[in-house]
Amino acid sequence: MYKVLLATLTTLLLVGCSDQSWRTTDVADIMPPLDFALVDENGDSVQAEEYLGKPTLVYFGYTYCPDVCPITLARLGDAIRKLDDETRDEIQVLFISVDPARDTPEVLKRYTDAFGPEFVGLSGDKAAIDAVTNRYRVAYEYGEENENGDYLVTHSSAVFAFDREGQAQFLVRDSHPVNDVEADIKRLVAQG
Amino acid sequence: MAYLMHKTMIKRTCRQLAFTTCALLLTAGVAQAQSLDVTNARLSLLPGNTPGAGYFELHNSGDESVTLVGAESPAFESVEMHISSEHNGMAHMHAFESLDIGPDERIEFAPKGQHLMFMRRVAPLNEGDEVEVVLTFSDEQRLPVTFNVVSPTSL
Ligand SMILES: [Cu+2]
Repeated sequence: MYKVLLATLTTLLLVGCSDQSWRTTDVADIMPPLDFALVDENGDSVQAEEYLGKPTLVYFGYTYCPDVCPITLARLGDAIRKLDDETRDEIQVLFISVDPARDTPEVLKRYTDAFGPEFVGLSGDKAAIDAVTNRYRVAYEYGEENENGDYLVTHSSAVFAFDREGQAQFLVRDSHPVNDVEADIKRLVAQG
Repeated sequence: MAYLMHKTMIKRTCRQLAFTTCALLLTAGVAQAQSLDVTNARLSLLPGNTPGAGYFELHNSGDESVTLVGAESPAFESVEMHISSEHNGMAHMHAFESLDIGPDERIEFAPKGQHLMFMRRVAPLNEGDEVEVVLTFSDEQRLPVTFNVVSPTSL
């Protein structure tokens, strides 16, 4: 029984590899290519084209988030550190803050540096952020301010993956097992 | 089988613990505190003024339920109990006021779930530092716990 199951699993895996479907959610046909006009960690205006040439993971969050955002970024960092030395430098993670009021370029730089050199912080004014979030059909919403002026932000939990040409490939949800995420990132980096 | 043996052992230990607790009830507050055991207390922190998250496991080995109602720390201006959740692809976070822990129950504050949210550090903190935190309960009990400051990349 065990052997049959193993054989079936192996077959499934092989089939999975040959027909190029991702273990996480395949969005190649439904998400538009990477495109944005934002501000980087140095305060400079940047366009998506400047980030082409490397496989890219994109996550929407905010630095005032102590739990979900750092854990998500740290787990992406773990997956990246499991890649071969040569391919590790090829991937980049764009952390797009939907909270520009608190996430100045300086704050973003300090924050993303803590996760590794592959992590880049981006933000912009509301119109620039909305253009990107609308494009990828994600939402965000500010909570009420407390007496200290602090507020929480509800944001997308998904990680979007793009190939070197900026074409959308897969989307990682919270529910996807770490093994699947790592396998897909490995494959994204490996594909020419 | 191993599991069953283990369970029996735990039960026996609990009974002994309960007995000890009874004996110690003469010295009220102290006995209560001894029935609460916190392990693996970590404070995940990033540089600058971004808030930190506190994670730990808490076991109530006593015979009575206790209610965790908050936490405080001299190292932060405010500490709240929060829970992260996910609905329809959106990450939410909100505060909660109390958490009941039944007799022999173990609860966990863990990444992407319940966490302490540490806001506005009083002085700069670094990985490897220790932070004193007091967990407060509805019966006025105060449980001091030392949290190790770690990077979220180590979790
Ligand atoms: Cu929180």
